Amino acid sequence: MSQDTPSTPKKSFFQNLKEIMYGMASHDMSRYALRTRASMEHLFILITMGDMIGIPILPPYYSLRLLPYVVPQISTWKRRLLREKDVSDAMF
Amino acid sequence: MNTLIIVVLATVVIYLAYNFYARRIDRDIIRSDPKKATPAKMYMDGVDFMPTSRNVLYGYHFKSIAAAGPIVGPITAANLWGWAPALAWLLIGVSFIGWVSDYSAIMVAVRNDGNSLSAISHKLIAPRTRTILFSFIFFYLLLVAGAFMGIMSSLLAARPDVPLGIIMLGVMGVLAGQMLYKWKMDLIVVTAIVVVVTIVAMVLGPLGAVTPEGKLDFTLGPISSVVVGFNKAVDSLTGGNAVMVVTDPTNADPRVPAPGADGKRPTTAIYNADTGEIKTMPSYLFWALFLLAFSYLAATLPIWRFAQPVNYIGFWITLLTIGFSAIGAVLAPFIKPEVGAFALEAFKAQPWLPEAGKAWQPLWPMLFVTIACGSISGWHALIGSIGTARQLEYETDGLPVGGGAMFTENTLALLALVAVSIAGTGGGAGRFAAGVGSLLTVVFGDGFKLFGTALGFGAFMVIVLTVTQLIFRVMRVTLSEWVGEAVPVLKNMHVSTVTSMVLTMLLVLTGTWVYLWQLFGAANQLMAALSLLIVTVWLREQKRNPSYALYPTLFMYITTLAATLVTARNLFVTIVPKGGAAAAGAWAMIVIALLLFVTALVIGWDGYQAYQRYAKGGPAKQAAAAAD
Repeated sequence: MSQDTPSTPKKSFFQNLKEIMYGMASHDMSRYALRTRASMEHLFILITMGDMIGIPILPPYYSLRLLPYVVPQISTWKRRLLREKDVSDAMF
Repeated sequence: MNTLIIVVLATVVIYLAYNFYARRIDRDIIRSDPKKATPAKMYMDGVDFMPTSRNVLYGYHFKSIAAAGPIVGPITAANLWGWAPALAWLLIGVSFIGWVSDYSAIMVAVRNDGNSLSAISHKLIAPRTRTILFSFIFFYLLLVAGAFMGIMSSLLAARPDVPLGIIMLGVMGVLAGQMLYKWKMDLIVVTAIVVVVTIVAMVLGPLGAVTPEGKLDFTLGPISSVVVGFNKAVDSLTGGNAVMVVTDPTNADPRVPAPGADGKRPTTAIYNADTGEIKTMPSYLFWALFLLAFSYLAATLPIWRFAQPVNYIGFWITLLTIGFSAIGAVLAPFIKPEVGAFALEAFKAQPWLPEAGKAWQPLWPMLFVTIACGSISGWHALIGSIGTARQLEYETDGLPVGGGAMFTENTLALLALVAVSIAGTGGGAGRFAAGVGSLLTVVFGDGFKLFGTALGFGAFMVIVLTVTQLIFRVMRVTLSEWVGEAVPVLKNMHVSTVTSMVLTMLLVLTGTWVYLWQLFGAANQLMAALSLLIVTVWLREQKRNPSYALYPTLFMYITTLAATLVTARNLFVTIVPKGGAAAAGAWAMIVIALLLFVTALVIGWDGYQAYQRYAKGGPAKQAAAAAD
């Protein structure tokens, strides 16, 4: 590394090794699980909050009732939904 | 030559390349800055864009790029040209080209909002570059699936001690998915159960299959004899006749017997030593269909149900086998010098000029496409730009993650080369397995030789199979997403999966896999050249010195274009004259080779124009493309 990463605490050899092993063995599995959950959550938000992107599926009354529960997810949902994607994004 | 010299040489070369070349490029050309916000931070969505520890990311990137390539490539190359050219290309290639490709692709994606290389090529070079890149990717996947299917089917049909471990891998994969995700069992407990059971099944394959004189006889073992009997029963369906006949000029096919004491290969039931013809028996077809069924489950079931647990088990088996083999390679010169000594010749002369009617394998350009992943690979750049770049926490993590993982993969390729070189005899996979078996005796004692070799075969199969099953999954997605709009039926995952498998089998059954491997290698290396081209154009657009990427681009581009033509020529002179289905397959591969060649020329021209445009200070072609 050409420059030190800021405010990175020193880790022991075994901590580093543990992280590397996790990265090799399980990080991919965690990402798939997260991706599956996120897809379900985002589908739910699309159905309930579709008005926000011009797709009115649920009557606004119910959307408003659900809004407080969905607020924490809205920013990441919009970012993920509206991001330009190409075929290679669907591959991995 | 012995294993210790390889270990010392590799350590010195990798240390020098990383510390005195890679770090300098990172500091002076890319100018990575830990204070710059990465896409993982800017666009964090908790899923795709997520700042991740560089240790975790290093492991993740290494696991993503390390597959069968670094093992099969050096084995094939050592068979063709000897171990010395393979060693030289592995060390020089990774030092000046391999890490450049992996690291730069990640950094270019990081500096372009985490977009994939295909999206960046659309913006920087020309819209059609992206389309051509996708066609490259699809054919690449098709070829690698064909090459791997050919290798695995041959191995399962030729080695009755291998199938039990692979069947158990599938069973344990289903069980692991059930235990982890449905029964919510502890990961460590699940890992211990499924990995131990699978390894035991692999190791026990040759149990009892040794004559009192110490010779291997699979009709004797309680497990292997069942497989032998089953294969015979399947072969009797055609009265013991071959379904078709192929040839393998490299003798890397596991069905080709090892040379005897006189240095000549004996004629067997399926191999004719005089003509070099190998009979494709019904049992071979059965095992190919078995592998397709395995891959079908992986491609169509939810990923947690089969593909992912199988990969997880495969990872541990590979790690344990490779890890202990590496320990054996380091200790061999001190403990068992006879194991650490190289039995394979350093150089094997190949004619520099083509001979009529014979396959032509000149060192240049064929070595450079035969060994791909251990030196440089386009696949790495693609994965790095999509998966890894979006998780990079700091820009300065790019080198240890991208470059570090590539150098580590290089050591895996070197280990494969060492294993093959000390084994000396047998086919490609056989040499690897025999080498692993010898190295494991250094750690576990002489009595482990038979079981260590079985584990070597098992690990080899696992490495290849876990990649193949995912390739069919990716091919399915690519077909659905890319061609699905034009051909709606392909949006159905079963149709797209079966279509991919039928195309693959056409290649497997009609050609010898070494051509398939070299064509795959050419497609892979062309993709590497194109990713380097994108990096070069980006560097030019950023007004930075592009030399460190430009020269590797030119070398890889010219080399792989030439290799594509040589492979097409070899197919034409060795398989087409045979006529029948084999000729049809050869023609299909020749057409693919020529398509790759032409599309590469188009991308090269577009890249050259884009380079010139940025050299003159022109704008990106995106605006012009938008008007198209």
